[in-house]
Amino acid sequence: MVRVKVEFWMWSGKELGPDFESPTDKRATLSLCVADGTTVRALFEDLERYPMIKSEIFDHAFNPDITLTLNSRVMGYDELYGMVLTDGDRISVLPIYAGG
Amino acid sequence: MAVAGYVGKILRVDLSEGKTCSEDLDEATLKKWVGGVGLGAKYLYDEVPPGVEWADPENRLIWTTGPLAGSGVFGAGTFNIVTKGPMTNLAGSSQANGFLGAYLKFSGFDGIIVQGASPHLVYLWIKDGKAEIRNAQHLAGKDVWEMEDLLRAELETREHDISIFGIGPAGENKAYFSAIVGDRGHVAAHNGCGAVMGAKNLKAVVVHSGDRKPNFPIHDHEGLKARNAAAFEFAKGFGPFYKWGTGGALSGIYKMGALPVKNLTTNQYPEFERMNGEYMRTHFQVKPKPCWKCGLVHVKDVTVTEGSCAGFVGEEPEYEQIAAWGPMIGNTDLGATVMLTREVDRLGMDCNESSWTIGWAMECFNKRVLTTKETDGLDLSWGNVGAVKELLNRIARREGYLGNLLADGVMRASRAIGGEAAGWAVYTYKGSSPRGHDHRGRWVELFDTCLTNTSTIESSWAGVHTQMVDLPPHNNPFSHEEVFTLNAKFNGIRQFDDCLGICRIATPHPKMVLDCFNAVTGWNWSLEDAFTVGLRTVNLLRVFNFRHGMRVEDERPSERYGSVPADGPAQGRDILAKWPEMVQGYYQLMGWDEKTGKPLPETMEKLGLEELVKDL
Repeated sequence: MVRVKVEFWMWSGKELGPDFESPTDKRATLSLCVADGTTVRALFEDLERYPMIKSEIFDHAFNPDITLTLNSRVMGYDELYGMVLTDGDRISVLPIYAGG
Repeated sequence: MAVAGYVGKILRVDLSEGKTCSEDLDEATLKKWVGGVGLGAKYLYDEVPPGVEWADPENRLIWTTGPLAGSGVFGAGTFNIVTKGPMTNLAGSSQANGFLGAYLKFSGFDGIIVQGASPHLVYLWIKDGKAEIRNAQHLAGKDVWEMEDLLRAELETREHDISIFGIGPAGENKAYFSAIVGDRGHVAAHNGCGAVMGAKNLKAVVVHSGDRKPNFPIHDHEGLKARNAAAFEFAKGFGPFYKWGTGGALSGIYKMGALPVKNLTTNQYPEFERMNGEYMRTHFQVKPKPCWKCGLVHVKDVTVTEGSCAGFVGEEPEYEQIAAWGPMIGNTDLGATVMLTREVDRLGMDCNESSWTIGWAMECFNKRVLTTKETDGLDLSWGNVGAVKELLNRIARREGYLGNLLADGVMRASRAIGGEAAGWAVYTYKGSSPRGHDHRGRWVELFDTCLTNTSTIESSWAGVHTQMVDLPPHNNPFSHEEVFTLNAKFNGIRQFDDCLGICRIATPHPKMVLDCFNAVTGWNWSLEDAFTVGLRTVNLLRVFNFRHGMRVEDERPSERYGSVPADGPAQGRDILAKWPEMVQGYYQLMGWDEKTGKPLPETMEKLGLEELVKDL
């Protein structure tokens, strides 16, 4: 098993439910263990069991307004999806919105 | 018969002659150019021939609203400025929110064309379909806030009986990145439009609110209400703006490597959680300050409650202002960003170019290229907000060696200093600088900023929201091919937005905006129609720019702006590795010649611009 963390910067952290740690309103973190050999794609498919994550991130395939980082490095979906998770990996899901 | 959505009149002001007159707008012109940047671009092209420079009286300063301004669409008090500006000495387009876009229509005009130059400082007073050029010599040297106070007092009006936009000391002294500022903190910032206003000796435009109701026909009132409500519901869920303002985006932008830190010398800024909109709204005292009929109310006043500026009252900084006066200058005191934001606004300058210029000067000071001899005693160590405040004032008044040098913007200042420091400045070779982002972590905006014809982002805004206009999603933000492809395919729709007199934050979804547009005008346009108007505007400005000396070799970032981040989330990503291929591919998709970058005749014909082919 490998331990991974997925961090959501969604401004709805407290609404995601008890599985998530929400230090602030805008951020929620999910810690979980997955089987050896699990890919990022498989991890994301598993996360669809959370309705808000499904509706905000996964509807209509992947929401194109999302940026992903793996261990604080921005990655393209095409780079990231096939990667096999390793122990201690941290994935951040970031909206790409910017301020004026 | 008036055209729905429009008053049908444009005000022409000749400051050299001291005369004003009203001109009719016909339906064919409105359907071709719509308003805002489109209509402004048309007048700029028609009336400013090659050879006219930005400070010449023959240049035009064109203020335009659009069919949605004052219609009841939330936050539609926006107006657009088009002019030939000093940063690029090419076309520039900039918008400001507040009230003027709505009030100008209520006072009888869809826009104002300012030409000529007055022999002394004047302001323009507009009420009930009439305009008057008035003496403003008593306002000389006043900052924007003082100017607003004095004008409201002498006109004996309450705060929202009039809308005031004008220039501060920076515009009067023709600092290149002067802005047009008004309605207590709203800014049309780009390409030095305030310097053009200063060159014309026009201190302010003051517009009465009329009876604050649409004085122009609206095709479908009930339909508009429903579509406006739907657009508002979408806007509430779009990003952090409704709850935390644009500053709410700061932490996410940091995490994606797009927060500008110390003139792009690093991407490390561990204090980011204490410098965002959520922190500000949960620690400072906040008071709503909505624009015209805005339900989103992302604009606030704040009272600082901690740090070196505790007790200071000012406008809540937008994201770009926090970025400009926080990480960019090495400051970690959030209250100080409120103070510096007010300072820049009251002096009448663009916060982004101010910040890139001062950030570069601070790097030069820290690397001892500039010393206290050149700074006239100022200690420009990172984070010294007091020195930054003083330097802003010197720039606005062109005081001292450094103040005068920096007032020309970072490209010109860095070239004047030369040597290694010339490579540290962040700008595009056309002469303008980016918004308050480290675009090395956001390639779509870096590419857009370099290829634009408006002097600021043209195709993108907060990325390219492809799904909003039925385009396929992108997969990799650092794919050279995807970036230029998406920029080309998305280009046009945001320029259409800027034709309408709306705020992009209050109404961010192009299709919902189009629904409101059709309800107001009754034109029943498709998304393709909207793209066509936007692309027509882009291409018209591009032809204007070529005629005024634009060079394709200048469509690229400066050395630092296009550098590879040494750390942070975008570490090692190199946009310049395939820059020529990106530019060539973009030209091709835009229907421009692959080598010269000029719009092809068939592109011009498709957009109804065939009469301009001869101009190229």
